Amino acid sequence: MKNAKVFISVLLMCGLLFLSSFPASRGPLSLIRIPKGPGFPVYVLSRLQIDVRQELGSCLLALADREDIALLRRNGVRFSILTRNAADRDILVVRTDSPDALAALRSAGKAIAVEPGTAVFWTETGSPSEAVPAGLPRKVLSSRTVRVDLRPAVGAGRPAPQAVAQDPLIDMIVDLVSTPNLSSGVQSLQDFQTRYASTSNCEASGQYIYNVFSGLGLDDVRFAPFTFAGSYSSRNVVAEKAGETYPDDIVIICAHYDSTSPSASRLTLAPGADDNASGTAAVIEAARILALYPLDFTIRFIAFSAEEWGLYGSRAYAAAARQAGESIVGVINLDMIAYANAMPEDLQVIVNSASGWLADRFLVAAVNYGVLGATKTVDASFVYSDHAPFWDSGYPALLAIEDNPLNNPYYHQTTDTLDKINLAFFTSATRASLGLLAELAQPIKTGYPKTPVGLTATQAVYSSLFNALKTIRLTWTSQADAAGYNIYRTNFSHLGYTKINSALVTGTAFTDDDVTADLDYYYVVTAVGATGLESNRSRENDWLMYPADSSVRSTPAIRTIAPVILRGIR
Amino acid sequence: MRARHRTAISALFLLVLAIAAPAQELSLSVAAGSFRASETTYREIYGAGTPFAADIWLKLKGPLGLAAGFGRLSDKGTALPLGEGDVEYLVKFVRTSIPVTIFYQFDIKAIDFRVGAGLGFHSYKENWETVSLSYKGHKISPRFYTAVAFAVLPRLSLFGSVTYDTIPTGAGSLAASDVNLGGLQLLGGISFRIF
Repeated sequence: MKNAKVFISVLLMCGLLFLSSFPASRGPLSLIRIPKGPGFPVYVLSRLQIDVRQELGSCLLALADREDIALLRRNGVRFSILTRNAADRDILVVRTDSPDALAALRSAGKAIAVEPGTAVFWTETGSPSEAVPAGLPRKVLSSRTVRVDLRPAVGAGRPAPQAVAQDPLIDMIVDLVSTPNLSSGVQSLQDFQTRYASTSNCEASGQYIYNVFSGLGLDDVRFAPFTFAGSYSSRNVVAEKAGETYPDDIVIICAHYDSTSPSASRLTLAPGADDNASGTAAVIEAARILALYPLDFTIRFIAFSAEEWGLYGSRAYAAAARQAGESIVGVINLDMIAYANAMPEDLQVIVNSASGWLADRFLVAAVNYGVLGATKTVDASFVYSDHAPFWDSGYPALLAIEDNPLNNPYYHQTTDTLDKINLAFFTSATRASLGLLAELAQPIKTGYPKTPVGLTATQAVYSSLFNALKTIRLTWTSQADAAGYNIYRTNFSHLGYTKINSALVTGTAFTDDDVTADLDYYYVVTAVGATGLESNRSRENDWLMYPADSSVRSTPAIRTIAPVILRGIR
Repeated sequence: MRARHRTAISALFLLVLAIAAPAQELSLSVAAGSFRASETTYREIYGAGTPFAADIWLKLKGPLGLAAGFGRLSDKGTALPLGEGDVEYLVKFVRTSIPVTIFYQFDIKAIDFRVGAGLGFHSYKENWETVSLSYKGHKISPRFYTAVAFAVLPRLSLFGSVTYDTIPTGAGSLAASDVNLGGLQLLGGISFRIF
């Protein structure tokens, strides 16, 4: 009897040890919808390490296991579960502008509306990209946690776009845009019959773009292959013009070169002249022209593939760029920039709130260089082109598109051909895009001082007995051809710089003591030569009163919320 | 608070008048010298100060007397950089003091020795010269001193004093909290006996 008790005890101990050797199950992975609202404490999600995969205008979509869900509940975060089985499957965000579109989507698979005009979609088997009814724009959820926009909403004190003087050199550059070149570029891409990703014609058109880039005398041209929707593969085409002053700071102009048409024809005929041979031809034209000029910043000219499948090419590229820690100043994504349903046509510029400055700069460039009207729309839900994966990765990006909502009756049809394009509008849109691209990349002017480098900003605090002064101390590298320097400052990145030095600064340091707590400051420095010529601006350096990657910003909305119950603290 | 101070000063003034009637000796001294603040941060910013003082000494019957006066301490310095910082921000500090004290005097030949204590009303102001930053305050605090006057002429003496003030302000900044504006003051000058 005594031996039996000992035996049972040992058996129980062994059983417990065996069970404890398994990792604790965190349950199935759910897709959840977290609504945004006024004063929504986004930072809580970051603190709780919630895996947000998509930011939309009114909500966030996140993957959450059982532990995450319990944590969200304990912290009073409102959410709803869309599906409890989200692991290892492609889930798409699909634009559903009408009830009919949503109904069509529901007949093709599982679809749930997450906000007006937007649904999530997946299928139990096969690729959801192939199941989505033709004509519905879609985006696959990010492959990594997205960087949710923590900056204040656009319009919160942001200055209106300012009239900026045209730069004669950039004026000269945009004058090189050739309408015949744009037209023949579209024709060449259209001649592939179809560029539907997964077809050999699409790969051949990618090779064509590669060859064109290679003939322009750029610094680097390469394919960036990726796989998508299970077993398919394709290639982005990436060309680079290296910056001479800031080679590691990159401005991107991009467009997708793949095309689509109704499912019955897309494997054989999808000319995609407007969508998006137009954007691709504009990127090629920009590369042709800017290849001739030395630049301060690096430009990458990228033709993405598999956009029509759900932005797979740009998703792979943007995620890799973020992983590599690349410094991307801004992304100009051109998608359908050549159809004008009525003249004068204006261009729609779509951004999220963190990219607002880019749209503001585009609007000014459109007037200065494109002689074109442009309208800015801030809409985090407009995620159906290649700018969106850059948003996901925390990079500023804009989409330039002819209309929102689209008015092109040939959109995704076999009739989307060159003869439907308005070449005057197409040329203006290309000029505007090239103008902004050149402004951002800064062509180096002969005879002018070199652009200053090495700008750093540090906080210096001075104290007397009863007062303290916070200052921002700027230092930069000395230049032989500079008689002095000017310092410019703004509270809104890349917008509305104001000179803050009263006399030319002759040293290589400047202390800004006219700063206010709770405001962010952005600085650039220029060099002034002996004859008074002023260089291009240095790379922007910021002093953020709250670090950019901090999840906590001192806003009243955040201060008032309850303390966060953190992971692991029960 | 200010009303209370005014009342206290008025009361002291009346007391001085009341006591002055039977005064045996009235003298006036003017002196300047050096100030060593007890606050380290003060010394780092302003170094050793140069105070100026003028006092009226009223010797009563017996060894006791009353003194009242006016003192001014004015210093210039540069704000302290906390961490990195190479800009010189000029700051100016001014302290005016009105002390009212009681002293004990004894004489050895031509030398008068005085030991005294009382209160000082201090008003102080700190200004940054190139930035719009300033601070004002006032405080009543205890004062202790010893003074000596050596007669060189019938009415004229060489005068010296050592004064200690402690002036906790309850205010401060990033460089120092609860700044004490007191310290040791060493003065030298002349004293003139009126009667």
